[in-house]
Amino acid sequence: MKEESKENLVCGLCAITSVFAFLLVWYLGCTFTALGKLLPDPITVLIGMWGYIVGTVGKCSLLMHALHSLQRVLIGFLIGSALGISLGLLMGRYRLARAIFNPIFRVIRPIPPIAWIPISIIWFGLGETPKIFLIALAAFANTTLNAMTGAESVDKTVINAAKMLGANEFQIFTTVVIPSAVPSIFAGLQVGISCAWASVVAAEMVKASNGLGWIIQAGMDNNNMTQIISGIIMIGLGGFILTYIMRTIEGVACRWNRSGR
Amino acid sequence: MEQERKMKAGIECINAGKVFVTPEGEHEVVRNLSFATKENEFLVLFGPGQCGKTTIINMIAGFEDVTSGRILADGKKVEKPEPSRGVVFQNIALFPWMTTMGNVEYGLKIRGVKKEQRRAEAQKYIDLVGLSGFENSFPVQLSGGMKQRVGIARAYCNEPEVMLMDEPFGALDAQTRYLMQEELQRIWSAEKRTVIFVTNNIEEALYLADRIIVLTNCPATIKKEYVIDLPRPRNLVSEEFLALRREITGILDSSQED
Repeated sequence: MKEESKENLVCGLCAITSVFAFLLVWYLGCTFTALGKLLPDPITVLIGMWGYIVGTVGKCSLLMHALHSLQRVLIGFLIGSALGISLGLLMGRYRLARAIFNPIFRVIRPIPPIAWIPISIIWFGLGETPKIFLIALAAFANTTLNAMTGAESVDKTVINAAKMLGANEFQIFTTVVIPSAVPSIFAGLQVGISCAWASVVAAEMVKASNGLGWIIQAGMDNNNMTQIISGIIMIGLGGFILTYIMRTIEGVACRWNRSGR
Repeated sequence: MEQERKMKAGIECINAGKVFVTPEGEHEVVRNLSFATKENEFLVLFGPGQCGKTTIINMIAGFEDVTSGRILADGKKVEKPEPSRGVVFQNIALFPWMTTMGNVEYGLKIRGVKKEQRRAEAQKYIDLVGLSGFENSFPVQLSGGMKQRVGIARAYCNEPEVMLMDEPFGALDAQTRYLMQEELQRIWSAEKRTVIFVTNNIEEALYLADRIIVLTNCPATIKKEYVIDLPRPRNLVSEEFLALRREITGILDSSQED
């Protein structure tokens, strides 16, 4: 117990030190080398970022831009992962469903979301729809396979146990196959949320009037390095927070899967 | 009256056999098996090795088809698993995402029994197997012996007419196994059911059985049958117990030689 808290303290200190060391190297590099011509130093960036947070960049503040991006991600992610998980579970449980959908899915999956940008614009114009389409696609491609593996690898005797207790096929699917695939589904959701977040940036860089991708794009157009780096930092933080939230949800949903105590 | 007795017929195997067809050829695991259970009888299928016994349970449960002969449950041909035949599995096979309560009440829940009623019923069997206080534990938090208690309670709670137990204590350590045999004897005495119990442990067989059917190894066929009428709970070192043990072990040894 004491040993453990000591270890936690050491790890915490190391984490803080490494962040400061990174900022220090960045600062020294900018001050004493030619890097200063390419990159503003961290203090300038942080002051600039603070200005964007309390003031505005473009039409609204930095945090509002982040929220715009977040909204797109959440809508697209919900649609894409819901479709992906449903299809994956069906393909995992029913050979016929796999025979029908698997070949198409296997070809669509490796196509990166960016490759869909032109088509999405032609199909859906320049509004919100193409962006949500791209994000949904990214979430879909990354959640399907894991859901399928989860549904496929359900312990056969556990299914027999449900049958012996009187469950019909529908009840087996909903009360046995789905819950036992949950850990595997979450592995897919983890990757899916990261890819969805990465895709929103790509989608916004093409055509948008707000969002973190727009900040970066506009920063490049105005040759404003501080703005670009502020955007990048927010993207990193946003992705970090999203995966953290996802892991927390996973911890609750899969608590039966870890040995307590 | 005759009809009435037929309805209580329990499990009847008539020349049942099973041949698996594999790429390497045909593999016969059960041959010409015929027996019938009596009401509330504790019937032990005792045999050596890995071969055939689990298949017999799977066929009676309805998980696998017979390839020859017939198996009847209550006079009707077994075609698929049914709640009237409860199974306790060798690898326990609990639903790991459900608590003890969730596992035990599952059968009643999917049948649409109301919450208060099924909770009360499940609680009765959780208490019976000695797991009071562990209702909200997940299987991963329980020891091997406790998990199998949940398995027994789950099968019992569905009120089957016949219980099929496939080496239920095979994965437990010797000490726990012995304890669980005593427990099962107690549970069965409190809630009488027809039980078909498979084991390769002669002491376990003699401790629990009303009747022992000794099986040969691969393909499983009936070697001999013993009615055990020693008083319960049985004394593992009594004269009669040891004599029976010697005799049954003896006929198995001779059957392995030929």
